[in-house]
Amino acid sequence: MEMKKFILKRGIEIVIIFFVILTTLFLLFHMAPGDPISRMIDPTMNPEDAQQLISELGLDQPVWTQYLYYLKNFFTGHFGVSFHYGRPVLEIIGKRLPNTIILFTSSIILSALVGIFMGKIAAWHKGKKTDTFMTVGALVLHTLFLPWLALIFIWVFAYKVGWFPLTGIISAEVWTNPNAGFLLKTLDVLHHMALPLFTLFVIHFGSYLLIMRSSMLETLREDYILTARAKGLEEKTVRNHHAAPNAALPVITSIGLSLAFSISGGAITETVFTWPGIGRELVFSVSNSDYPLAQASFLLIALIVLLSNLVVDVLYAYVDPRIRY
Amino acid sequence: MAMLLPLLFFASCGSRTAADTLRIGIAEEPRTLNIWLASDANSRKILSQIYQALYTRDPETLEMIPWLAEKSPKYEPDNLAYTVKLRPAKWSDGTEVTSEDVAFTAYVIKKFNVPRLISTWRFVKKIETPDLYTVKFYLKKPNAVFLTRTLTAPIVQKRQWEGIVKRALERKKPLATLLNEKIERPIGTGPYVLEEWRQGAYLHLRKNRFFFGKGRIVNGRVLGPFVEHIILKIFGTSDVAVLALKKGSIDFLWWGIQPGYIDDLLKDKNIRVFFSKKSALYFMGFNLRKPPFKDRALRRAVAMLIDRQFIVTRILQGYGSRMLSVVPEGNRFYYNSQVPRYGFGMTRDERIRAAYAILSRAGYTWDVPPIDAKGGLVAAKGMRLPDGRPMEDFTILTPPSDYDPHRAIAGIMIQEWLRDMGMPAFAKPMPFGALLQKVKAKHDFDAFVLGYGKLSLDPDYLRSFFHSSGDKPRGWNMSGYRNPVYDKLADASRAAMDPEIRRKLIKQMQEIVLKDVPYFPLYNPTLIEAVRKDRFEGWVEMLEGIGNIWSFCELKAFAGGE
Repeated sequence: MEMKKFILKRGIEIVIIFFVILTTLFLLFHMAPGDPISRMIDPTMNPEDAQQLISELGLDQPVWTQYLYYLKNFFTGHFGVSFHYGRPVLEIIGKRLPNTIILFTSSIILSALVGIFMGKIAAWHKGKKTDTFMTVGALVLHTLFLPWLALIFIWVFAYKVGWFPLTGIISAEVWTNPNAGFLLKTLDVLHHMALPLFTLFVIHFGSYLLIMRSSMLETLREDYILTARAKGLEEKTVRNHHAAPNAALPVITSIGLSLAFSISGGAITETVFTWPGIGRELVFSVSNSDYPLAQASFLLIALIVLLSNLVVDVLYAYVDPRIRY
Repeated sequence: MAMLLPLLFFASCGSRTAADTLRIGIAEEPRTLNIWLASDANSRKILSQIYQALYTRDPETLEMIPWLAEKSPKYEPDNLAYTVKLRPAKWSDGTEVTSEDVAFTAYVIKKFNVPRLISTWRFVKKIETPDLYTVKFYLKKPNAVFLTRTLTAPIVQKRQWEGIVKRALERKKPLATLLNEKIERPIGTGPYVLEEWRQGAYLHLRKNRFFFGKGRIVNGRVLGPFVEHIILKIFGTSDVAVLALKKGSIDFLWWGIQPGYIDDLLKDKNIRVFFSKKSALYFMGFNLRKPPFKDRALRRAVAMLIDRQFIVTRILQGYGSRMLSVVPEGNRFYYNSQVPRYGFGMTRDERIRAAYAILSRAGYTWDVPPIDAKGGLVAAKGMRLPDGRPMEDFTILTPPSDYDPHRAIAGIMIQEWLRDMGMPAFAKPMPFGALLQKVKAKHDFDAFVLGYGKLSLDPDYLRSFFHSSGDKPRGWNMSGYRNPVYDKLADASRAAMDPEIRRKLIKQMQEIVLKDVPYFPLYNPTLIEAVRKDRFEGWVEMLEGIGNIWSFCELKAFAGGE
């Protein structure tokens, strides 16, 4: 019952926050200098033609009218048409978003699993060589500059050694081959995904390792661990069944938020690896003053961040029976 | 994972690099394949192989030659009419190209006021189609752009567009509806047709078996196409695209390569680098509507102080040329080399002295003049306008360095050169959209550095840039230049249907512009492109690079290759 109340309360909060974001976003875009028409620097386009285009795009309306349209469109699920591509925004996002989700979700899950596992080991061997090696290694990898690492990996593993394709999500050579079946095409996508996934993994698993390690160290000082040991349980059981599940809680929060931000934070990775995802599109739409596409992408990110916060809170309560709101 | 690796390797082996597939690297996804919306370079790259025009340009002389038309247009001066005969040609769906298609193309552009295109069709009064292969254009008044731009505009198929156009006209926003129409299979007359566009990954073009030029000799060239497939792959960064070329994953890198990569590419014996002239204009513009640049003498002095050679050798690393006139040198027919040259070939000392002479004559004074009593150069301070007031700080707006490092650095260099003279100049990089809004829409600026990467070969832009009628918000006369003599010449040049007469007028216009300096031309960067030598041969070099229709019609698999 308490839980239902909590969810309802958070739900209302989320709606209010979202409305504030919606409005701020609109104002930000309209206050930013530059508009989609002034970017069309073609000397054959005279001011009268430009004016016609402006009015067809609805940009000549007063700001508040545009705002009302914007709200109406949003609540009717119609996000408008991208100025740049001339296609409905939802269609573009619909094509890009799955690519982002598949890459970043897998990278986060992989990093978290490895991070939790190694963090557990590091904490268990606190002060020994294994711990030092893992902790220092995690710190170093976590602080690497992503575009640099990505280019180095491309150069070594794709260009020099040739294990992976240079960039992209699929090979035209495979996909245009009429004999290529579903399996081959799936393998082709996995083959392309391997290097960006590995790069993201190398950068990110360190942070999970460090969170897990410090959380585990705290947990190991708890009384119930002492109790478990006093009961004569095996060290392995104490570590894996008593300490680790409790220590993993902060990692879950971290995973939730990473998942939410992954759809926006991937702009650099997506650009270097030419991964056709939403992050790259977001940067491109902002620099192109493509209001409908940029606004919709930002709203999507806001929505996912808000929802995943809620999910993390609820999940916490389920995972840890001590937590009640 | 261990089990997957061999399979993954197998997947990569499925790829084919057959001699019948030309693989091209492009920088970004094309915006659209809807020809009415396609204003970006990448969409045009694709569509230029699909949609064709009545006339095209010879790669060497740049003269107009019949393409979908059979021969040169026949002119009747009395009723301002041009008759064009079509050559037998088919659309990529196998239907015939007729005069109806040409008339329909004009109808769509005029009916919807299609941005960019309308300016080259507005003056066409009427189009008659006496028979299936004859088109007769009637002009409202003589307009030279008709021959060079209207007749080189791509023609669309009536059959494909008729229904779409009808539906769009019934809507509240017809133009937006037309522009936003999704075209999955553009039907054209060019050497290639679209087979598949897999968004975010590649575009696959296939040889158009109905291409009218196939096997023909046009302008002394035997046309193919001889390559069965073209695959255009999208690359996010030039670093990776260059690696792809070196590795052999692509055969042609279809975008301007930065000079930094050249040494590396030249070392590779399988790679050939092409250096082409561009039809570009990079310039400094002044706001003539207000002080200080209202004064011609000041503009001339600034022009004198700018070291264009330095910009080319140091900023462009030698890959570019100084621009003397506002028409690029590559446009040989209209280019005027006999314009005022402002400090061309002078040393730094000579420039400062020349600028000092101009400004002193115009009544400018200094607290500390750049030349002391003994005639030596010193750092000038406190420049004053002819009315005695100190010169106020002014800004030189440039795009930011992440957009174009050359223009941003050129702005800073110009700032330093002007400061040597005691001018309080401040270079200010600013986001491109904001810059254009200030300069073009609001006219709220002192000076700027901008550029056109791809000007049309017809110099009608001179009229747009400097005719007084363009001096309005969002107009192309960004400087606010007003000169009745120039206006007259510009109008006459537009009406001159005789190329020789037009050439003279255009040359005169360049002279006036360089005398009054509303724009000061700076440089024209070299277009650097690279291909794999071991894959295809027959690239045709032309103004604006090797990615032209002639190359795509003439390329053949490398004889000594696979």
